[in-house]
Amino acid sequence: MLDTVKKLCALPGVSGWEDEVRDRILEQAMPHADEIGTDALGNLYIFKKGALTPAKPLMVCAHMDEVGLIVTNIDEDGYLRFDFVGGVDRRVVLGKRVFIGPDAVPGVVGLKAIHLTDAEERSSVPKTESLRVDIGAENAEAAKKKVRPGDRGVFDNTVYEFGDGFLKAKALDDRIGCAAMLKLLERDLPADTWFVFTVQEEVGCRGAAVAAERVKPGFALVLETTTAADIAGTEKGREVCFLGKGPVIPFMDKGTIYPRAVYERCTAAADRCSVPWQTKSWISGGTDASAIQRRGEGAAVLTVSVPLRSIHSPASVGCIKDIEALPVLAEKILEEMAREN
Amino acid sequence: MELREMIMELASRTGPSGFECRAAERARELLEPFADEISTDVLGNLIAVRRCGEANAPLVLLDAHMDEVGLIVTGYEGGFLRFSNIGGVDARILPAAEVLLLTADGPLRGVIDVMPPHVLTAEEKEKPLPIDKLFIDAGFTDEETASKRVPRGTAVSYAAPCFAMGENLLCGKSLDDRSCAAVLIRAMQLLSGRKLAVDVAVNLAAQEEVGGRGAVVGTYALAPEYALAVDVSFAREPGSPADKTFKIDCGALIGVGPAATRSVSDRLIALAEKKGIPFEIEVLGGYSGTDGDDILVSRSGVATGVVSLPLRYMHTPAEVIDLRSAEAVAELIAAWVVSFGEED
Repeated sequence: MLDTVKKLCALPGVSGWEDEVRDRILEQAMPHADEIGTDALGNLYIFKKGALTPAKPLMVCAHMDEVGLIVTNIDEDGYLRFDFVGGVDRRVVLGKRVFIGPDAVPGVVGLKAIHLTDAEERSSVPKTESLRVDIGAENAEAAKKKVRPGDRGVFDNTVYEFGDGFLKAKALDDRIGCAAMLKLLERDLPADTWFVFTVQEEVGCRGAAVAAERVKPGFALVLETTTAADIAGTEKGREVCFLGKGPVIPFMDKGTIYPRAVYERCTAAADRCSVPWQTKSWISGGTDASAIQRRGEGAAVLTVSVPLRSIHSPASVGCIKDIEALPVLAEKILEEMAREN
Repeated sequence: MELREMIMELASRTGPSGFECRAAERARELLEPFADEISTDVLGNLIAVRRCGEANAPLVLLDAHMDEVGLIVTGYEGGFLRFSNIGGVDARILPAAEVLLLTADGPLRGVIDVMPPHVLTAEEKEKPLPIDKLFIDAGFTDEETASKRVPRGTAVSYAAPCFAMGENLLCGKSLDDRSCAAVLIRAMQLLSGRKLAVDVAVNLAAQEEVGGRGAVVGTYALAPEYALAVDVSFAREPGSPADKTFKIDCGALIGVGPAATRSVSDRLIALAEKKGIPFEIEVLGGYSGTDGDDILVSRSGVATGVVSLPLRYMHTPAEVIDLRSAEAVAELIAAWVVSFGEED
């Protein structure tokens, strides 16, 4: 599982450009699939038969895409103008390495020398419009040979374990969910299940919306990651959730009020599980569940998320125990929900 | 070894001011073939001397600093590490930065966590977080472990790779001033086998980023007659004023002004013109902001020139230099050293 997470995180997959991630997932899912499909947006559908065949199938989903940059224009002096794809706090890109476009051209988001700044500048965060990616091109012509507007930029892709059981990588959101699904696919399932690896979650859950229309699930389980603010300096009560205390099962987030009955059944099932779980103490974030819940005739939904520090940054941090607990909890929840379906 | 490789190797080593040993270790290996004497002093300066064989030959000092800006662990908040800066660090580059904790047992990884938007006020979101509101996450869950594994006073460097950007540019941390340390080794390479009229000392100086401390002591010990301070200066970059910056590929910057001895500046300019080495004149105000300021007034005075390499994004983990300019600086330095046998 951890190995899969590491491999998937290293791949580029900014929303709308999930191809490499999808190819790798398909390769790994293929041996376990009873049926495979894709659609116009780029979602990957893997169907696997289970012990039961309910009237409406179960659906499990995780998104393949990650936040990043998109080149909007090229300056005459060869620097790239860019915007963000998905919610990126612009403070996290200053002085960081990025890789641009299909050829992964290395570049950096420079910050001018501290010696040339005044106190006022140093106390403000530069606007996105004033930031540039430097790919070392001498002029626009040289730059255009390597990149073009519309190319995506991904954060540095180094992945490593550190400290007492922590993992650093970009795109842990949501390659962890994808890896957990691949793990589930290896297991015998309680009921027929569609595994959907979705696209474009970070720009409005677009993949999940059309996937729900196609699968028409009775119950959909979203495997995700979520913001943890359990860091030094955070006021007590605002931590949201804590690394090391297990995956998060929220009763509500900014996108979804999870059906209470489902929440209660699933958390009771989670209590019987060998791994810990927690809920969120702050209403924040949103997941593919928001789209699935309200598509077609609607569906029962639940999200299980691994808490991450510095989510949507080049250096997101997860706790390995939490990551490994995700498929364990997910399996328990599927068993529980298969009984009724 | 090629200049490109030397720069990449030295920039990949860690060496915040006062903790230069890892970088010095590698620099020593690279300098050794060109030196008759090599030593490290009490401050951490790495000093190599090549003798010309003539008794009472004048001593020429080539100085580039070995240290880089960095951070230092000052305390704990649970398992998280509090820190302060070593040298001029713009705190705006710190959120989500990856770092190396330079413990006695070897480097440990850490990252500087970002406060997510929901815990910040609207006003805070538009402001950079000051250093005292940032913490290093080294993956420890309690203070006891953190303080044992990473004691107070542990130096911290950026964990940023040095990599090629296009044909001629290199990007990485500590190119200020490791790139010039490599340039000095390159100059010694160029001088190798040539008969010289002067003894040449290379000081890869400690603690420049906190105020020329290594240069003060190293220059005193060497007592040179002439010196060049070789450091980085400002390359043109987005948002920086054109009148204070130079094109990254313009070659060597030759300092002119009270902070550089006029006769040295003049000779450097004449040599660059004669040899066709690309250069620009950099006008220095009262101070050059390099080790040259301390070298100039060492003992009873040293005839000192300031030669610089243009660099973008100074003091960030993503500094950028141009190899063509770096080679030009090395050629100019070598030509200057050789010129002592050719004069008048």
